[in-house]
Amino acid sequence: MSKDQTIGEALRARGVSRRGFLKFCAATASMMALPPSMVPVIAAALEKASRPSVIWMSFQECTGCTESLTRSHSPTVEGLIFDTISLDYHHTLQAASGAAAEAAREAAMEENWGKYILVVDGSIPVGDPGYSTIAGISNMDMLLETAAGAAAIVSVGSCAAFGGIPHADPNPTGALSVRDLLQQYGDRKPDTHSAVYTAHSTDVDVKNKPIINVPGCPPIPVVITGVLAHFLTFGTIPELDELGRPMAYYGKSIHDRCYRRPYYDKGLFAETFDDEGAKKGWCLYKLGCKGPTTYNACATTKWNEGTSFPIEAGHPCLGCSEPDFWDGGGFYKAISTSTEDISRTAVYAIGAGAAAGVALGALNRAKKTRAVKAHQKVGIDDLEKDG
Amino acid sequence: MSASLQRGIDAFKEQIDAPVAAFFSSCVRCGLCADACLFYTETGCPTRTPIHKLEPLRRVWQQEYTFWGRYAKAFGLSKPVTDEELEKWETLVYDSCTMCGRCSMVCPVGNDITYMIRKMREGMAASGHAPEGLIGATKRAVTIGSPMGVKLPALQAQIRHAEKDIGLEIPVDVEGADYMLLLSSMEIMNFPEFIGAVAKIFNKAGVSWTISSEAFEATNSGIQIGVSEIAAELVQRIVDAADKLKVKNVISPECGHAYMAIRWEGPNLVGKPYNFKVVHILELLDDLRKQGRLKTTGKESQRLTYHDPCQISRRGGVVEQPRNLIDMIADDFVEMPDSGTMNWCCGAGGGVSSNERADDLRLKVFRRKQAQLDAVKPDALVSACSNCRIHLEEGLEENGMDITVLSLTETLAEHLAED
Repeated sequence: MSKDQTIGEALRARGVSRRGFLKFCAATASMMALPPSMVPVIAAALEKASRPSVIWMSFQECTGCTESLTRSHSPTVEGLIFDTISLDYHHTLQAASGAAAEAAREAAMEENWGKYILVVDGSIPVGDPGYSTIAGISNMDMLLETAAGAAAIVSVGSCAAFGGIPHADPNPTGALSVRDLLQQYGDRKPDTHSAVYTAHSTDVDVKNKPIINVPGCPPIPVVITGVLAHFLTFGTIPELDELGRPMAYYGKSIHDRCYRRPYYDKGLFAETFDDEGAKKGWCLYKLGCKGPTTYNACATTKWNEGTSFPIEAGHPCLGCSEPDFWDGGGFYKAISTSTEDISRTAVYAIGAGAAAGVALGALNRAKKTRAVKAHQKVGIDDLEKDG
Repeated sequence: MSASLQRGIDAFKEQIDAPVAAFFSSCVRCGLCADACLFYTETGCPTRTPIHKLEPLRRVWQQEYTFWGRYAKAFGLSKPVTDEELEKWETLVYDSCTMCGRCSMVCPVGNDITYMIRKMREGMAASGHAPEGLIGATKRAVTIGSPMGVKLPALQAQIRHAEKDIGLEIPVDVEGADYMLLLSSMEIMNFPEFIGAVAKIFNKAGVSWTISSEAFEATNSGIQIGVSEIAAELVQRIVDAADKLKVKNVISPECGHAYMAIRWEGPNLVGKPYNFKVVHILELLDDLRKQGRLKTTGKESQRLTYHDPCQISRRGGVVEQPRNLIDMIADDFVEMPDSGTMNWCCGAGGGVSSNERADDLRLKVFRRKQAQLDAVKPDALVSACSNCRIHLEEGLEENGMDITVLSLTETLAEHLAED
């Protein structure tokens, strides 16, 4: 595939219809909570965007993120958009190895300095760098060097975003997330570095590189294509929450968007995995569901092309897109259990809420009645102001 | 007494009811209503997003009727609505909205935005922020009996002309008739052929009908400007005349908002049920067709399409009837894209046509109709609203489009079977 091809041309060459493409743009716009009038803007921008160079680095990870993002049962537009980026370096997917692979990375950096997107999956061992090295270069050096020329960094998966499983207690490798590493070691010059880095080393500011965290173990594929689409359309990174996650996808908790939420509200819970409640599809809160404290798009976007998501399959949410989810104290332990009789508490709460509502309602009604009483007839002589 | 900001705010407070409160609290600010509004799509101006036109009303709701709004108001955290603000909103609420109801159709949470615009106009009028043109029309409607200043002698003259043309007597003030026909000033002044057309059809079909000399005006400026008392007074005139003549039905003519006023708002305005039924002329004609009392001969060879007047189709539910009727006389009928309940407004309803200030804007938004017409390229455009008709003719001429605008009733009368 030619590097000069635009995304529009590349998609067309792969047999994606204009209609399919616009559907993707509309879905992206609605997922990112953009107004419908932005759809043509997204379409126009993507159409014309030249394929961005992407360098993908895998550190302490299990390749699950790459699996998630590359797996699709039939070619979807998301998949193809992903294919149409110029993926210039990716350990798992590239054919080259050893010195040739590193040469490809350096060539991509040289050609696109300041413009390429760096995607990272996996955390970085800082305590003992020996746990993970590539071509004899420590993960930290490779990240510091490659981050220097990136336009933006996308930390894919909970390991890159928050440290993930390698960072779990007792964290034997001294693993750090990309954001933490760049914060703590951003001033450091990498011990081993290439000629490309040396040539540009005067304008390096990795501490302030924009970082988009796309956590999840693994994250939902459409989230990363959505972020890429946003970057290509607006040239900026999307609005992020305090953990660096795009608000459009991580703005709401699983709980708030869960189809089992009505059972929670009614106090109907599955107590074990094979009781009547579980069979009836009641709330999995007491079985340790972390939905209330987990922010992700699973409940709306779902997995495997919108087929299902863990709670729909009857398993509580593990909270994999939250920091340190591995150390949360047991996946099957409820976040908290009430010591009081929950239904009596609910009755009191409803009573108090209703009383407040009635009081406010009465105030409002009184105000409205006053307004109605104060009504002065409007006739044709009252339509203009004096003077 | 004169209009004042305080009276406007009081009217807002009075108008805010449970649906309004529910609508404002449910709005998710998705902006879908923008793309449903031709004043937004044809100008690209974000202030013309339908829900934004309600901003002052929303603020009054929030400050007066919500907990946090009261709190914010008490501590000076939210600004009260000002006269300057209402002045700015005047062009949004009156010039840039025909109350066509398309925004209410697309709202994903079911907010009836049009319902709220109607209510907001009550406060706008009470605060002295109604457009001059509409104030003039309203004054004429109350004092003379018609927004265009048409008096009884003018109607009588048109009736005489029609009688001469068709050779039939047109019944006036006939007690005990089944139907009492209302007319819009525009029909009387611009399209008097309508009267003759109805007379011909009714004569053939054996309909017992009359026109009242005391209440013949169908339009209701009180609703357009947003003053319920005036609207009620205008409806009451019709109710009184219908009761006096003891008619069983009142016919709303080819006029969009007249139908909405007399059929839907009327009983609520006067506060009691009517002693008669209200039908739209197209409903009656379609009934006559079903009963075999309306027969036509010959077909139009030209390509026809139908412009659904918003208040008759979308807000009135009279969608099938015009199509059944056109089917009788058309060989080549095509539907425009979005026809039926999602049809685009002509751009001149809801009082916009009485507001000279909005003239340029209404011609600008006509581009939407132009695009719809370009998609099907008809020879003639049939409609059932005189106000649409005048504006459509103007828009077509302005854009050099060679399309004839026809009244459905008049076209049917031309094809009336001799026997």
